[in-house]
Amino acid sequence: MILLNIFKAIIEIDFFRNAIIAAIIIGVISPLVGTVVVIRRLSNIADTLSHFSLAGVVIGVFLAKILVPILKISIDPIFMGIIFSIGGTFLIEKIRNFYRNYKELSMAIIISLGVSLTGLFISITDGITTSFTTALLFGSILAVSLTDLILVLFFAICIFVFIVFYYRQIITLCFDETYARISGINVKRLQLAITIVLALTISIFIELVGVLLISTLLIIPVASSILIGKSFKNTIVISIIISMFSILVGFTASYYFLWPLGSTIALVNIILLFIIFFTLKIRDIRYKTKKK
Amino acid sequence: MRINVNDLTFGYTQRPVLKNVTFSLTSGEFLSVVGKNGTGKSTLIKCLLKIVAVPNNTIFFDDIDINALKRFYHVGYVPQKSEITYEFPITVNEFLSYAYLKRKDAYFTSVINALDLNPIYNENINNLSGGQLQRVLIARALLNKPKLLILDEPTVSIDNESILALNNILKKLHDELTTIILSTHDLEFAREHSDCYLVLNEKYEHRFLSGKDYDDIIEYI
Repeated sequence: MILLNIFKAIIEIDFFRNAIIAAIIIGVISPLVGTVVVIRRLSNIADTLSHFSLAGVVIGVFLAKILVPILKISIDPIFMGIIFSIGGTFLIEKIRNFYRNYKELSMAIIISLGVSLTGLFISITDGITTSFTTALLFGSILAVSLTDLILVLFFAICIFVFIVFYYRQIITLCFDETYARISGINVKRLQLAITIVLALTISIFIELVGVLLISTLLIIPVASSILIGKSFKNTIVISIIISMFSILVGFTASYYFLWPLGSTIALVNIILLFIIFFTLKIRDIRYKTKKK
Repeated sequence: MRINVNDLTFGYTQRPVLKNVTFSLTSGEFLSVVGKNGTGKSTLIKCLLKIVAVPNNTIFFDDIDINALKRFYHVGYVPQKSEITYEFPITVNEFLSYAYLKRKDAYFTSVINALDLNPIYNENINNLSGGQLQRVLIARALLNKPKLLILDEPTVSIDNESILALNNILKKLHDELTTIILSTHDLEFAREHSDCYLVLNEKYEHRFLSGKDYDDIIEYI
């Protein structure tokens, strides 16, 4: 009955339909990109770029307010988010070179820059409301317009095609950079491509799930699946299932209880992870007792 | 593959790790690089694999400066086991077939059979014993159809049976005229195979010795 109601809502309500299509895209793309993020130990970069990209979106809104009356053109702030996200990856690399032993400082510096620029531009841009900033932080998937959806779909297809075409190279690089290099993979170029894909993913996710939940959706399904996966393919499939399941449960809960969608999806993901922790611990205890 | 190393000096800071290292190998020769910890064995391997930036005109593969090579052809590398820290689930089959970078073919199957990997083909790589993982890493190196094979401490933490298996594989490759460079602490193991030795020590007095000069190694080490 619950599912039937949701199904009816999907067919009848435009914004709900857009939202569920966007959510399915997130459900598939995030574990794919998340796997690379986890194996390459880029979790912190994902968080840094999402904060820096936020500054881009807010500056985009600021510029749109100025430029629209003057040039009579409109800019989608998401493009500024993408530019900042990609620019952020280069800045992180440049700043890393200033430190020999404390390279991770570069990420803290970029987060600080991102957050301070965000704060500044929110305060100097007329007409930015609390609901706008809340949406940036926690996402507004139900407010996804058709144009946004097309943009998200376009980038998602680009990311998907890139991963499908280069999966052997990507996986080989992820597991062993030295081997990748001597096998003739252009490591620098592939690394750059992976970072750009990560930056793109983050920028398109900002509007949907918000800055604070991006790394949750990228990383938690993978963090769960590596604990129970038996092979690489099997682990990716499990993470996609976990991701999709969280999205469906999140949708159902937010439809009935009016909970914020992004937070609900993230929480379901984390609950599943804790159930896996718990089950593994129990299995461990049973195994030890049997051995005794 | 012919290897020439010509007056190679390399260091990460002001103090060099390798100083004026010179040696050359003809195709099919087996070189063991021996020396105490910290004498630059691993650094030499990093230089040979271009993991670190080496000066021009110091290392040549088949008379071509490695800095002029856009990519390596036919070079296999077996890393130290301690460098392998996989936690992500991946089976032997997946690990090797992704590393092959193309569809599996008869050569791929022949490598799997040669290293007797069929019994562990669908095992998660993280559950393998030291010897089994060693065989997987050698298989991966062989997938590049190497004319030069570089091995970094392959006998560390593997059992005697695996060392025996490794001996047989290296003998076969040596017979097939693969040039092999082995970095090791295990002098007995080196003695089994080596045509020549490169002894590195802390005073930068490196020695290039022929196989029959095995007894002199201790003096220079």
